Amino acid sequence: MIRIPCPHCSARNSAEFRHVGESATRPDPSTVTPEQWRAYLYERSNPAGWTTETWFHTVGCRRYITVERHTVTNEIRAARPAGRDGRGGREPAEVLSTRADSGSPDAGGQA
Amino acid sequence: MATTPVSRRLPAQAGELIDRSRPLAFRWDGRRYVGLEGDTIVSALLANGVDVFSRSFKYSRPRGVLTGSFVDPGCTVQVGDEPNVRGAHRRLEAGMDVRPQNVWPSLRFDVKSANRLVGRFLTAGFYYKTFIKPQRLWPAYQQVLSRFASGGVTSEQNVHGYYDKRYVHVDVVVAGAGPAGMSAALAAADTGASVLLVEEEYELGGHLRYSGEQSLSTLSDLRAQVAARPSIEVMTDAVVTGRYDDNWVAVLQRHVVGAVERLVKVRAGVLVAAPGLIERPYVFDGNDLPGVMLSTAMRRLINLYAVEPGERAVVLTANGDGDAAVADLTRVGVDVVGVVDGRAGETIRRATGRGRLQAVELEDGTVLPADLLVTATGWTAPTSLLNMAGDRPVWNVTAARFVPSGTDLPSTVLATGGVVGDGGPEDLMAHGRAVGTLAGERAQGRAGGTVPTLPCAPHPAMFRASTHGFVDFSEDVSSKEVVAAAMEGYDSSELVKRFTTATMGPSQGKLETINTIAVLSEATGRAIEDLGTTVWRPPYAPISLGALAGRVFEPTRVSPMQGWHEQHGAVPLLAGQWIRPDHYGDAAREARNVRENVGIIDVTPLGKLELNGPDVPQLLNLVYVNKWSKLAVGSVRYGVMCAEDGVVMDDGVTGRLADDRYLMSTTSSGAATVWEWLENWLQTAHPDWQVHVTPVTTAYASINVAGPKSRELMQRVVEGGDLSTEAFGYMQVREGRIAGVADCVLWRIGFTGELSYELHVPASYGLHVWEELLEAGDDLGIRAFGVEAQRILRLEKGHLIVAQDTDGLTRAHSAGLGGIVKLDKDDFAGKPELAWHERFALATAPRLVALQPVDPTAVPPEASQIVTPEGDILGRITSSRMSPALGHGVCLAQVDPAVSAAGTVVTIRLPGGGDIAATVQEDLAFVDPEGVRLRA
Amino acid sequence: MNESLLSTVGRRARALRSMRRGPARYSAFDLVRRGALHQDWPRSFTQHDLKTSYDAVVIGAGVHGLATAYYLAANHGMTNVAVLDKAYIGAGGSGRNTAIVRSNYLTPEGVRFYDRSVKLYENLAVDLNFNVMFSQRGHLTLAHNDSSLRTMRWRAEVNKLQGIDSEVIGPEHISRLVPYLDVSPEARYPVLGALYHPPGGTIRHDAVNWGYARAAEHLGVHIHQYTEVTAVHIESDRVTGVSTNRGDISAPVVVNCTAGWASTVCDLAGVRLPLITHPLQAAVTEPVKVFLKAVVVSGSLHVYVSQTDRGELVFGASVDPYPSYSMRGSLEFTEELAGHVLELMPSIAKLRVLRQWAGLCDMTPDYSPIMGVTPVDGFLVDVGWGTYGYKAGPVAGEAMAELVATGKTPEIISAFDLARFAEGRLVGEKGAAAVGH
Repeated sequence: MIRIPCPHCSARNSAEFRHVGESATRPDPSTVTPEQWRAYLYERSNPAGWTTETWFHTVGCRRYITVERHTVTNEIRAARPAGRDGRGGREPAEVLSTRADSGSPDAGGQA
Repeated sequence: MATTPVSRRLPAQAGELIDRSRPLAFRWDGRRYVGLEGDTIVSALLANGVDVFSRSFKYSRPRGVLTGSFVDPGCTVQVGDEPNVRGAHRRLEAGMDVRPQNVWPSLRFDVKSANRLVGRFLTAGFYYKTFIKPQRLWPAYQQVLSRFASGGVTSEQNVHGYYDKRYVHVDVVVAGAGPAGMSAALAAADTGASVLLVEEEYELGGHLRYSGEQSLSTLSDLRAQVAARPSIEVMTDAVVTGRYDDNWVAVLQRHVVGAVERLVKVRAGVLVAAPGLIERPYVFDGNDLPGVMLSTAMRRLINLYAVEPGERAVVLTANGDGDAAVADLTRVGVDVVGVVDGRAGETIRRATGRGRLQAVELEDGTVLPADLLVTATGWTAPTSLLNMAGDRPVWNVTAARFVPSGTDLPSTVLATGGVVGDGGPEDLMAHGRAVGTLAGERAQGRAGGTVPTLPCAPHPAMFRASTHGFVDFSEDVSSKEVVAAAMEGYDSSELVKRFTTATMGPSQGKLETINTIAVLSEATGRAIEDLGTTVWRPPYAPISLGALAGRVFEPTRVSPMQGWHEQHGAVPLLAGQWIRPDHYGDAAREARNVRENVGIIDVTPLGKLELNGPDVPQLLNLVYVNKWSKLAVGSVRYGVMCAEDGVVMDDGVTGRLADDRYLMSTTSSGAATVWEWLENWLQTAHPDWQVHVTPVTTAYASINVAGPKSRELMQRVVEGGDLSTEAFGYMQVREGRIAGVADCVLWRIGFTGELSYELHVPASYGLHVWEELLEAGDDLGIRAFGVEAQRILRLEKGHLIVAQDTDGLTRAHSAGLGGIVKLDKDDFAGKPELAWHERFALATAPRLVALQPVDPTAVPPEASQIVTPEGDILGRITSSRMSPALGHGVCLAQVDPAVSAAGTVVTIRLPGGGDIAATVQEDLAFVDPEGVRLRA
Repeated sequence: MNESLLSTVGRRARALRSMRRGPARYSAFDLVRRGALHQDWPRSFTQHDLKTSYDAVVIGAGVHGLATAYYLAANHGMTNVAVLDKAYIGAGGSGRNTAIVRSNYLTPEGVRFYDRSVKLYENLAVDLNFNVMFSQRGHLTLAHNDSSLRTMRWRAEVNKLQGIDSEVIGPEHISRLVPYLDVSPEARYPVLGALYHPPGGTIRHDAVNWGYARAAEHLGVHIHQYTEVTAVHIESDRVTGVSTNRGDISAPVVVNCTAGWASTVCDLAGVRLPLITHPLQAAVTEPVKVFLKAVVVSGSLHVYVSQTDRGELVFGASVDPYPSYSMRGSLEFTEELAGHVLELMPSIAKLRVLRQWAGLCDMTPDYSPIMGVTPVDGFLVDVGWGTYGYKAGPVAGEAMAELVATGKTPEIISAFDLARFAEGRLVGEKGAAAVGH
């Protein structure tokens, strides 16, 4: 059980958070080409090493945070409130589109 | 049948665990025996002269005691309904019904022992080389093979039992309470740290328990010291099963008051591993015969359980423990007929006997009759926990064993005792104290100090005699098979393990790994240190599913009106966490009543979010595909949300209650996702927007009142309001008092297609308002209706349900929602993809259409496929019901645009077989397509 | 028949004949003969010297890489092929999966694809002369709510139209197939029905890996274990070879058949992929008498379970909730898994977990693989296999071999091209998500 050092709540078990996605800058939708937009939606660096990503503290402060984590050792070297680099992190498009129940206290059921 | 009682019980031994004043009766293999309190199942049986407890997996060889510990491969038995009980560890209890496993017809005459005759053919991996043809016989071959499956029995009648979990936050966890472990715990406690001391056996002490009077005295002293420190919590018959990221440590407590087992999850400041050493079997012909055992097994039997292990013994000793074993045997009067010294280069050749040991042949050819052969040829360090923490053990050539390297360990994981090095009790205790002090200091944030060393003593490298024997007793794998596998090319430690299955049995490799690697080293000519060991994976000890699961908490959610629903015969529908009323006995009748009179439905699970702030319209414009800037106070609008790939994500209505106050509704399953979606945009992209989001799904009980008489009903309960269509038209919202309850929100929307109102009432008054409505509408023909009736009604109106009539690839246009997408807005989620979709993909993307089966009685099941005559798929039915209002089936479907034109006749393949025809409708709505009733 | 098919058939026939002449025929007779004569079995794999050039280099000696190499040799006569792996044969996902084989997918193209694999698996033991122990014991995907049941029916209907045996069955039938399953309405997540797929089942994954390796080796393919690719050489957008820790190889075709390392290897070629790598964990219990015949999957409970012939229960669940390259395994995985398994089968609480492990899964946005050409000429990919790679080993190998040998992408994998993401043409399996196994 790794621990995420939430900047608001201090180190908490990762089960309290939801991993959102690799951080990226959202291209300007008014000028972007379809290839560039889809590169933003789908392409990932997916490194075996340090990565910058967004987590959401679901059962804590409910803030989005940007975390620097090593994907092989799971060591975390930085965590700060998600900044204004376009969007804090990319939701994998399929997560939203398939409407997973995120398990938050206010989650509903299937209609 | 009476049997002559045999007693192999010795006179009282110092340090014995048994209580001779407390006999316990039990059954073994159908017969009655008596043991003593403190016995293990196996020591009780041995005391009664029973020394064969199982038959091996492949060759069905009789097996007895080898290690006399938890991992003893021959001592696994069935106790009552519990399979795979470790008989050399489990304490005897009165009335136990113990049986051998996997023997037929009996332990004495197991049919599978015929396998021994064909043993030379049944080498490791034999099944890969045969049963290939004819293929249709493979299932039959499988049945044969599965009879080889070892292990106990389980039954579907077994009761689940109660299992517990506990969380512990402690400074230091010490895994193992031998002399080093106990000393570490004491020293850590003396630095002020809180300590959890975990011991696998039922009592503390490790090997001090059976190593003679001096050790017992040392032990007694250590135990007293541990007991005297309140900051040390002790768990016995408990084992640390894993060390995970950040010192998340799992401890299995195997017997606790009030529960079958308990899983303790510890966030440890520092973990000290003190598991000692595990004695390693020697590989030689006959090394699995009952009567052949390790020195630690023999010393435990004599000193802890006062059991005579044999009458005539040969001892192969290569270390001090082997020498002490000779002394123990002599002391209790066993005839030691031969002592073979591995340090002098001597060894044995083989052990022989029919069904049990009868003679030992030495390397020089001498044959010594004996019924007990004790081997003390070396040790294995159980480094699992350290491996899990990142340590890669190194081969110590002098000591002939792997030891932790210590270099890759985090500073919060330490090791002490036998696992690290060798020494007498004083040396181990001194090292334990030093490591314990370090652990305590580090755990409390005080750095400094280096890990002291504990050197290893030299030990002869003895793995295999000149003959071949078993390297894995559970899997019946011999050294000969390991060599053969290597010759065939399976010559790395991982490949040989997988091919022969050595180390993959219930002993988890603790007895097998080193011997397998040593034999592989012989066979390949590569040094042991180059072959490495295989990866040690958790759990360190087997852990039951029950303990891992604990009590499973899966709460359900109900609205304040649920009690009423149950009382009135509601059939429950599980929708995510919610329990909702599916119907109250007759959904069709409920639906008809809505169209004719008035009905009410509990829609509390509907997602609701309150949005406050001057920038709410900007947020709405961003997340919805349509326009929101001009939404006036008191108005409600329907909106669709798409994800950034243009796929429909959620839909709902949002109403403006005041200048800066809005109420957004979402689908009930989308409530959490939408809330987080909004927060993501606000926190990361637009922190400058002044918007505050409050989830109010459960703050309000929500009720939908629908039907031509609904206005009349609402007028009776809404206070001081003109509900005429001029004053409160379709898609409007207001707040006020309903049935005496303040702060209610009321809006006019129409999922069901009738004149309808949706009330959001502060939740604690939900039942009150519900009952008031029923009472007030009694003369209007009011009935409650459930989710099923609502589904029928909305389907008659062609209203889609996201994630039922749409899927993970449906873009807005394919859901008939193209019209509300406003591409002239600046930016909104999904805009780029929707724009490109409209330009390039519209002609080929699926469309949502309404279908009416030609046969009025036909109601094709949902998910039925729409097909061409050739059987190619053109689409599927997404929603389908019999319409009570119209008297025929009504469907929604996703279809290929080629067949989406009104009037097209399509073919639906029914799941039960056969095809029916259906016609594409002009409109999605079957009932009141112009929406006259909605807008009444 | 067209020309390329003729030549394929001809080459395959010659390859098979040569195989039969080869060493180490496996059969009961040979088992007895060698046993009686105390004869050793000859080597199945050898360590070769690394040549400086090959006609094709396959990166990854898992089932995909080995099958590709085998079919290149067997179907197309291309034997000057090297398979490179930084560890031992089957060290990655191919040695860590729970070996479930089925073809009951959602889309027609998915069904056709996986069914071809099932057909190849059915004959694999004979083709490779190695018992791969394909046990078609039946596969059940449980539905615990209406939406799930609807999806099961969707899959059943698509399957039936393709001639695949698949049907939605109710609790009573389920209970007869798996008596240990709790199908009572009192369960927290009651079983409403299941998708039943009789031809689905399990296979011995190590046997498949070794069988392909042995057969490929015998046909002349070189399998280089402990040989890590450190660079991919490209000139004018065309691949010219690779560098490894044992030396350089020049080759006009390089195929990335890795899982877990797909992004890393593609980075060497400058090819960007839409992959996110997540650990997928699994666990096994001690053996008990066989009581579970079918493979049981529950999408809602995120768990699947089967029992081996040795009596061990094998479990898995969905991927870990955050991307990582760690294969260490976690406690919470086993806790959640055990919780869900006991909800399905409450009577097995006393069975003990013996071992847990993890592999790496490369997840794509549409639950479908990425196969075929990339912007770099000659650099091909067979990646993005998520949690469903093992069942596709044979068909993927067959198709990639055809692509390598003929230069044309076979129709059966045309929907899985890398270009589909840039073109917004995601595969329909995204339509319904579940714990796919």
